Amino acid sequence: MAARALLLRATARCCSPLHSPTAAPRLHPRLRSHAAAAAPQLRFPALSFSASAASTSSHGPSGGDAGEGEDDKGAYENYLGMSDDELMAQCDMGTFKSSGPGGQHRNKRESAVRLRHHPTGIVAQAVEDRSQHKNRSSALSRLRTLIALKVRRPINLDNYTPPVELLQILPLKSTIRSKDVGSQIGPNNPKFSPGMQALLDLLFAVEGSVSEAAKILGLSTGALSRLILSDDSLRAAANELRASKGLKPLR
Amino acid sequence: MLSLSARPILSAFLPKPKPRRLLLLLRPRRSSASASALTPPTPRTTTPDPPEDADPTPLFLRPPTHPVPEASLAAFRRRAAALVPPSAPHLHRHLRWLLADASAPAPSGADPAAPHLLRAPLDELEALWLRHVRDRRPFQYVVGNEHWKDLVVAVRDGVLIPRPETETVVDMVAAVEGFQDGWWADLGTGSGAIAVAVARMLGPGGRVFATDVSEVAVEVARLNVQRYGVQDKVEIRRGSWFEPLEDVKGKLMGVISNPPYIPTDDLPGLQPEVGWHEPKLALDGGKDGLDHLLHLCEGLSSALMPGGFFVFETNGNKQSEFLVDFISTKWSSSFCDVEAVLDFADIKRFVRGYRR
Ligand SMILES: C[S@@+](CC[C@H](N)C(=O)[O-])C[C@H]1O[C@@H](n2cnc3c(N)ncnc32)[C@H](O)[C@@H]1O
Repeated sequence: MAARALLLRATARCCSPLHSPTAAPRLHPRLRSHAAAAAPQLRFPALSFSASAASTSSHGPSGGDAGEGEDDKGAYENYLGMSDDELMAQCDMGTFKSSGPGGQHRNKRESAVRLRHHPTGIVAQAVEDRSQHKNRSSALSRLRTLIALKVRRPINLDNYTPPVELLQILPLKSTIRSKDVGSQIGPNNPKFSPGMQALLDLLFAVEGSVSEAAKILGLSTGALSRLILSDDSLRAAANELRASKGLKPLR
Repeated sequence: MLSLSARPILSAFLPKPKPRRLLLLLRPRRSSASASALTPPTPRTTTPDPPEDADPTPLFLRPPTHPVPEASLAAFRRRAAALVPPSAPHLHRHLRWLLADASAPAPSGADPAAPHLLRAPLDELEALWLRHVRDRRPFQYVVGNEHWKDLVVAVRDGVLIPRPETETVVDMVAAVEGFQDGWWADLGTGSGAIAVAVARMLGPGGRVFATDVSEVAVEVARLNVQRYGVQDKVEIRRGSWFEPLEDVKGKLMGVISNPPYIPTDDLPGLQPEVGWHEPKLALDGGKDGLDHLLHLCEGLSSALMPGGFFVFETNGNKQSEFLVDFISTKWSSSFCDVEAVLDFADIKRFVRGYRR
C-alpha cells in the first residue's frame, strides 16, 4: 500500500483544474505505472508489492485467488503479476551508470541493458538489439523467466487450488482443467512464466515429487514429466530443486 | 507496455528534394572560426561532411537497387572489419547494423546465389564506413536513423541525434492526466522524435505543435511525421521558440523542450562524434548553458493554459537545481510542483512543473 501512496503523490497535483484532487484516488492504473516509469527517484522502493496492489496491473493473469489469498501473511510478492512499468520501477538499469555527463554530451550507441531487480537481486540483461528499447523489453522478459525459476513462494497444501496461470500451461487432458481455461500455453508465450513459477512452487511444496504434483494437477506422472522436460530452463530448475531434496534428475 | 511494433508507413518515403539546395544545407555549418573552437588538436577530418555527391535521402530509406554478388559483399565485410581498431570492438556491431540497414530484406525462399540488393553502391558504403571509423562521423548519420523508444527516427547531418535520456520526457507526458486530448508544444523539435512519440499516444482532440529554427530540422521532422502517419496530429512550424505559437497562446496543455544546454566553453571538449559532427545550433546553450532554458521559462506562463504542464531537459544537476529554485522563487505565484527528475544514471536531467 505504501507503493500506491507513493505513486499517487507523484501524480496528484495541488493546484490545477486538470488535476482535481478528487480525481487522484481513482487514477487509471496505466497512469500510475507511467508515473512510476517517469519518476526514477521512486525506483527502489523497499516495499514488497502485495498481491492486491499488483492486481490492478494490466499485465498477465490477475494473481489467482487460490494461490494467494490463503497465505498466512495475506500477501507476498507477485512480481510476475506486475506490469512491465511496475517491475521496471523495482529495477536498477545498469547501462548508464558511470557514463559521464550524458544527455547532449554523449553519442554512444550503447544499447545493452542490464537490469538488477532489487527485491530479489536477480540480474537480467540483453545486448543483442541496437534499440535500447527492445533490449529493455527482452531483459524484462528474461527477468520474468528468472523470477519464475528462482523465486519460490510458500503454498499451503491443505487447501491448495492451482491458480489459473498454472492451469493454462497444463496439457488439456488434465482432469482439473475446465474448458474455460482455454488452449494450452507453451514456453514461447510470455504467460508461460507465471504458470512455470506456480508449477515450481507446487513442486517445491511437495518436496520435488513429480508424482505427488501430478496427482494434484490431475495428470499422470509421465504427462507432468513431459511438460517439465519440454522447456530447458524449467527442466533445469526442477532438477535443481529435486537435487536439493536428494532426488534423481528427470531426463 | 513496451511495444515492439513500430512499423512506420513505408509508402511515405522522402520525396527526393531538390538536391542542390539540400546539399548546401547539408554542408558543414561550422564557420571556420567555430571550427577551430570545436576542433580537437589533431582532427583527421578532411572530407566535407557529407561529400558533394551524397544522396540526401537517409541510406536506410533508399530503394535497394544495387545488385552485389555475395563474394564482393563478403570481401567488403572483411576489409571493413580489418579497419576496426582493437580499442573499439563495438564497431563490429555497427558494421553488422550498417549492412542490415543497407540491404533489402531477403525475400523468403530466395535463391542464395542471387545477388544481394543494396541501397547504395558498394564503394559508397565503403566510403561511409571509412568516415565513420576514421572521421568519427556518428553511426546514426551513416545509416540515417536512430532507434529511439519504439521508433526508428530518421536523422541526417544538421539535425541532432535523439538521445536515450530524452525518451523519459515522453513517459512524463503520458503521466499527465488527460494528456490525450490536449494541445502540446515541442520546442526545438529537431528530428521530431518527441513530437512523433507524443502524437502517437494522443486521442482525437490531441495535437502537437513542433517548432524549430533550423530548416534541416524542420525537413527531417516532417519526414518522421510522415513516416509514422501522424500528419493530422503534428503541426510543424519554423521559428524561434514560442514565436510561431502566437495563435495558441494560453491554450497549451503542455510545453516540452530539450533545448541546447551545453555551456559554450564545454563544446571543444565534446567527444568527436558530437563536437565535430552534430550541429552547434542544437548544442550550444551560451555561457552557462542556460540561455535558451531561461528564455523558455520566461515564455511559459503565457503559453500554458491554467494547470498546464511543462518539462525541460537540462545539462544535469546544477542546471536543474538552479531552474527549480529560480522558477519557484521568481514565479511562485505562477507555478507549482516544480521539481527536478532523475534520468537513468541518477542525474537530475529534467525540470517539470505545472502552471497554477
Ligand atoms: C538538443 S536539440 C533537441 C532536438 C530534439 N527535440 C531531441 O530531443 O532530440 C535542440 C533543438 O533546438 C533547436 N533550436 C536552437 N535554437 C532554437 C530557437 N531559437 N528556436 C527554436 N529551436 C531552436 C535546434 O535546431 C535543435 O533542433
